[in-house]
Order: sequence, then C-alpha cells, then structure tokens
Amino acid sequence: MKTASKLNFGEKGIISDIDNTHPSFRRILEIGFTPGQEIQLINSSAFNDPLAFSLRGTLIAIRKQEADCIILS
Amino acid sequence: MNADSAVKLQLITLVGPPNSGKTTLFNLLSGKNLKTVNYPGSTVEYSIGKIQSKFGIKADVLDSPGIISLNPNSPDEEISVNSLYNHPIYGSPNFLITTVDASQISRHLLLSMQLIASGFDIIVVLTMNDLMEKRGFRVDEKKLSEELGCKVIKVNGRTGEGIDNLVIWLKQKIDNDRIEIRENNHNNRIIPKKIFENAEKEQLLKLYSDIEEIEKKVITPLPVISEKNFRNANKSLKILNPTLKSGNNQPDELTLKIDKYLLSKRLGLIFFFLIMSVMFTSIFWVADPFMSLIDDFFGWLSSITLAFLGNTWYGDLIADGIISGTGSVLVFLPQILILFLILGLLEDTGYLARGAMLIDKPLSKIGLNGKSFVPMLSGFACAIPAILSARTISNRRERLLTIFIIPLMSCSARLPVYALLIAFLTPSDKLWLGGIALAVIYIVSIIGSLIVAAIVNRFNKRLIKAEDNSSFILELPAYRLPKAKVVIRNSIDNAKQYIFRAGPVIMVLSMIIWFLTYFPNHNPVIDETGLNTEQIEQMIKSERLATSYAADLGKFIQPVMTPLGMDWRVGVALISAFAAREVFVSSLVLIFRVTDSGDIRSSMISAMRNAKIEATGEQLFTPATTLGLIVFFMFALQCLSTVAVSRKETGGWRIPILQIVIFTSTAYILTLFTVNILRFAGIA
Repeated sequence: MKTASKLNFGEKGIISDIDNTHPSFRRILEIGFTPGQEIQLINSSAFNDPLAFSLRGTLIAIRKQEADCIILS
Repeated sequence: MNADSAVKLQLITLVGPPNSGKTTLFNLLSGKNLKTVNYPGSTVEYSIGKIQSKFGIKADVLDSPGIISLNPNSPDEEISVNSLYNHPIYGSPNFLITTVDASQISRHLLLSMQLIASGFDIIVVLTMNDLMEKRGFRVDEKKLSEELGCKVIKVNGRTGEGIDNLVIWLKQKIDNDRIEIRENNHNNRIIPKKIFENAEKEQLLKLYSDIEEIEKKVITPLPVISEKNFRNANKSLKILNPTLKSGNNQPDELTLKIDKYLLSKRLGLIFFFLIMSVMFTSIFWVADPFMSLIDDFFGWLSSITLAFLGNTWYGDLIADGIISGTGSVLVFLPQILILFLILGLLEDTGYLARGAMLIDKPLSKIGLNGKSFVPMLSGFACAIPAILSARTISNRRERLLTIFIIPLMSCSARLPVYALLIAFLTPSDKLWLGGIALAVIYIVSIIGSLIVAAIVNRFNKRLIKAEDNSSFILELPAYRLPKAKVVIRNSIDNAKQYIFRAGPVIMVLSMIIWFLTYFPNHNPVIDETGLNTEQIEQMIKSERLATSYAADLGKFIQPVMTPLGMDWRVGVALISAFAAREVFVSSLVLIFRVTDSGDIRSSMISAMRNAKIEATGEQLFTPATTLGLIVFFMFALQCLSTVAVSRKETGGWRIPILQIVIFTSTAYILTLFTVNILRFAGIA
C-alpha cells in the first residue's frame, strides 16, 4: 500500500483513500485531500519533513507522519 | 460616543478560509474606520469597522480570523466559529459574507456549504477572479448562486470592481431585514456540534463530491479570443486531474519557481537565516537617522523649557521628569515601527508559512511545533499578541510550551534598553557594530529560549500529558507583492498602540522617580567656595540625590546589587523596569539628571561614563556590568501584562509563576556569572 509520504520529488499520485484511524484524518480531508484527487510532491524542508504537496491548485505542507494516512492508488 | 452608536447597527460578519481575500474585502468595505479589538477572555484579534459612509449603508462589519471548516481544530478556530453564533460584544451577526477564492473554489466552498447547511444567511463573495481569467477560465456566478441557493457576487480586491454590486445587494438586504422579525432568523440556525460532531469521513466525502459536481457546472473556459489563449487553455486541460474538468489545478507557477530556491534542501535554511538576520540588523541601522531627529527635538524641548521656567522645582519636574523621561523612550519609536513593518512584510509576502514549515522538524524535537514560529517571531514585537497568537497551535502541550518561552523573545520594549547599553559599549563611528551586537542579542535570546524549551520539555512530560495529537498541516500561500499601504498602516497602528500602552506608564513612573530622586532634600546646602556655577550645579544635584528617598530605598537593594558590581541607582532603575522594561532607560535619565543641552542619548552616555560607585569610587558602568545588564534583560520576566496574559491563556497561575521564578532567577545568576567572569578575565 503506497502512501503520499513514499512519493519521490516531482512524482504524482491519485488519492484512493484516507485512513480514518489516523488522528489528523479529518483536517486532512477538510483541507482537500480527498479520494480521486491528484497530488504531487513538490518540496520538503531541509530536514525532509514536513512535505509540501501540490493539491487542488495550491501547496499544502503536512508532516510525513500525516502524509502516511493518504493512501494512493 | 456619537448618536450613531446609540442605535444598534446591523452586524455583518466576514468569514472565510485563510488566504481567501477576506481582509482585503474588509478594508474595501470599511475604509480606514477600523479598530482592532481583542476578543474578551481569549486571544484572537478581531477587526471591527463601520461600512464607509460613501456606500450609504449604516452597518458594522466584523472581520474574523480565517477558518477552514466549522469543525474547529485549535482554540482560535473554536473562538472564531463560536462568534458566528454569538459574539460576546457584538451579538449575533445579521448575516455573513463569506469569501471564496475563485481559483481555490473546490477547497473554499467547503466552509460556505457548511454554513448554508447550518442555516446561516450568507452572501458568497468570489475573489481572485482575475487570476482565474489569466488561466483562461471563469466562474459563472449565476449558476453558482443557483447551486448554492444564496447570492454570489464577484469582487476584485485590487481594483474594487464589483464592490458596488455588493453594496446594492447589502442595502436591499438590510432594508428587508428591518421588516422581518430578526429573532426568527437566529432560531433557524443549527448549533454545529449537533451536525458536525459526527461529521466524519462519509459526510465530508459527500460534501466534497457535491462541491465537485458544482465546480463542474460553474467553471467554464473563457471564449477563445486568440489562438494563444486557446493553446494555454488546452495545455492546462491536459495537465488536469482527469476526474476534474477544470483548468484550475496547478499552483501558481511563479510561486513554484521561487520555492525552488527558498525551500530548496541546500539553500532553504541559508535563505531563512539570511532573511532573519537582515531583518533584525536593519532595525538598528535603518532607524538611526530618525532616532537622532526625535532625540534632538526632545533635548531642545527640555532645554528651552528649563530656560523658560527657570531653576525651580516645577521646571525640573517638567524638563527632567516629564520631557526627558518620555523623550528617552519615544526615541525608540522608529525602531519599533521598523520591527512591525518587517513582520508585516514577511507575513504579507507569504514567507511566514514557509518559515514555519522549514523549522517544524527541529522545533518538534524540543516539544514545540512549526506553528510556534509565528508566535515566537511576534514575540520580538510584543509578548502579549504573541501569546495570544499561540492559539493557532492545536496541541495543548505544544501551545503551553510555546507560551512558556515567549517572554524570552527579545520584545520591542527591550530595544530601548539594549540600544542604550550597546551605544555605551560601541564607538559612535561604528554603527554597523551596534547592528551586529543587536543581532547577536537576538540570536542568543532565540538559542536561550530553545534551550529552556528543551529542558522544560524534559521535566514537563509528567506535568502536561501529551494526549493530544501533534500535527502540522498548513497551506503555503502563493507569493505576492505586499500591499505597501496596508502594511504601513498596520505598522503605524501597532506603533500607536505601543505609545498608548507604554506612554501613560512611562509618564507616571517618570514622575514618581523624579519625586523620589528630588525630595526630601530638594535644596541642599553645599560648600560653594572655589567652585564655578557648573560645578555648583553638579554638586547640588549629586547631594540632592544622595539624600533622596530613592537613596533610602536603594539601601535595601544594595546587597543584591553589590555582587553584580552595580549600585542602588541601577537597582532603582531595575525595579521601576518591572512596570515596563523601557522605563529602565527613562529612570536612568532621571537618576543621572541628564538635562544638558544637545541630545539626550549622548549626554546620557557621557553621564554613564562619569558615574562612579559612591562607596568604592569605581566605575559604575564598565563593559562587564553593561554586558551583565544586557544579560539580565534578556532573561528576566519584568512585564506584568505578560504575566496577566499568560495566566489567562494557560488557565491558571502555575505557568506564569514558574515563568517569573525561573526566568528572573536565571537572569540574576547569569548576570552574576557574566560580570564576575569578565572581571576575572581582566575585563573590568
């Protein structure tokens, strides 16, 4: 099962599901990470975490541990 | 109060996601008639204003902090959401205006749909339509209005285009509302908890699929005018997410290019430190010419006042007590203005969110959060709004720890103190050295606060249970040119608040210190033989001070001050600094009776050079004691307002008391070490 945290820089993926056992899942959904959306890993901080994804025409920074609840198809 | 305020005006609340152009719309509607208000009992700042009279509408308009959804995720969002139902001062709004960035419609409609579902009366204002059109698309506001079942109006925040339509509509709305029974409106609203407490995955997904349906219907490609336009549209369609038929799915290209550098793995942190250090050093050297102007003015005012009133007690009170005392602090207004200006610029360009992201990882290691970055940075302006802004941190433990270390950030009230002490230490022809010294102070205060956070984090684990989920989810807004007018106006507003908050305290304390240093022996008898007028004047001053109330008070403090190599005069100034840190400077000015012609600062510095400890005849201000004082101010918690806000925000006395005890004792011990180690090393 591939999650968003496993993407390489510049790589795109389509969200297939959000793990609703993750404590941040609601905010992840609310900010727009929903199944069917395409995301792309754009940047990360110098410490490799958080990661910045392109999503719905904007950039969202989330921690790796949160990117783990975004399941890609 | 004018007659207007007696009649309760209609209240319109602006609500919208962060970066949706909400505040721009607020400024368009209210013009300059705004004031920032504190939400009672909490930390979120609201702006309230009246709609500009040129629009011919009498209504209050309230700007609230941005929220993503009606499910609050942090204390500030919770307050924001609650105020939509009932604001503690302004009551419940008659209706809401919600802003939606047209280029972010798929994300921003979430809040509007939740508001409609909760029974709010809303108008949707679509912003950033020009950005959409540049990409070859437009939003059909009529269709969107049909889909949502509420009015949709396009407004261009930059040109103000469309604001007239909004105003016409608002007018009708307000007139109709008068006829309706307003209470009915409010009863229709469903408290969100009932709906949204269970609003878990399925409901959110349903909402999003509805939004996507709407999006498909309302976004249409612009009619093809030229081949170029056509090609652009096609190109963006190709890179589209296949499930979405909108050309709207790529982040701003320029932003991506800039981020390649500013968020690059190798250069990101270098840029970060570069930006921060340019920011802090410029406070010193950009402000200097302006400071000299203010300084000269007060020096001149004080000397002509003294000349006019003569050598009387009231002349001394006004010239020394009030003018010199107040002037010695107002001199630092340019620095404070520049500090706020830089903070505003950083926020407006969109860099702050990136800064937070860059340092999230190291901060999370010591129990903080990337979101602690903005409160910590605001702490350089003033600890009070900084502690309030920590509300954006959803994890309670991280929030408390952030609040705990904020008083260690070098706030603007400390600038006057540092500026004076640094000016004493550095030659006047080497201004750049002063800038560097100030930057070093800032860096050391940051490092110090991080060390404290790390230590407290270790001990605190037992005190605050880490049951909350620690998270970092933040939108990185597109870079944009800051709106100079808005940034400048906000800086001036902030500087004004600084004057009004600190000003009265400084005035009153200046007068108290003047009284303590002038009485009871205000006309001492001295041996005048063989002395010229100036020497007599000096003798009278020092004799008067040595027998004053302040000197009596000083005897109590002397035992504490002696180990630090300082005397009671510095002690009295330090005690007065507990009312407000900058009072330290005005107290020194008063205690050393700096009234010579010329500017206050340079005569203050020469007075410091001449000051001797009475008992031993040693120099009072040496590099060692001056550095010691700087160290003291870096750590000591001397601000009563900070203590009060900290108590309110942490919900008890435990944290503020820990802050006072730990920070002030650390300050004393470190000062003791600094002074004595430097002396031991041969630096007097």
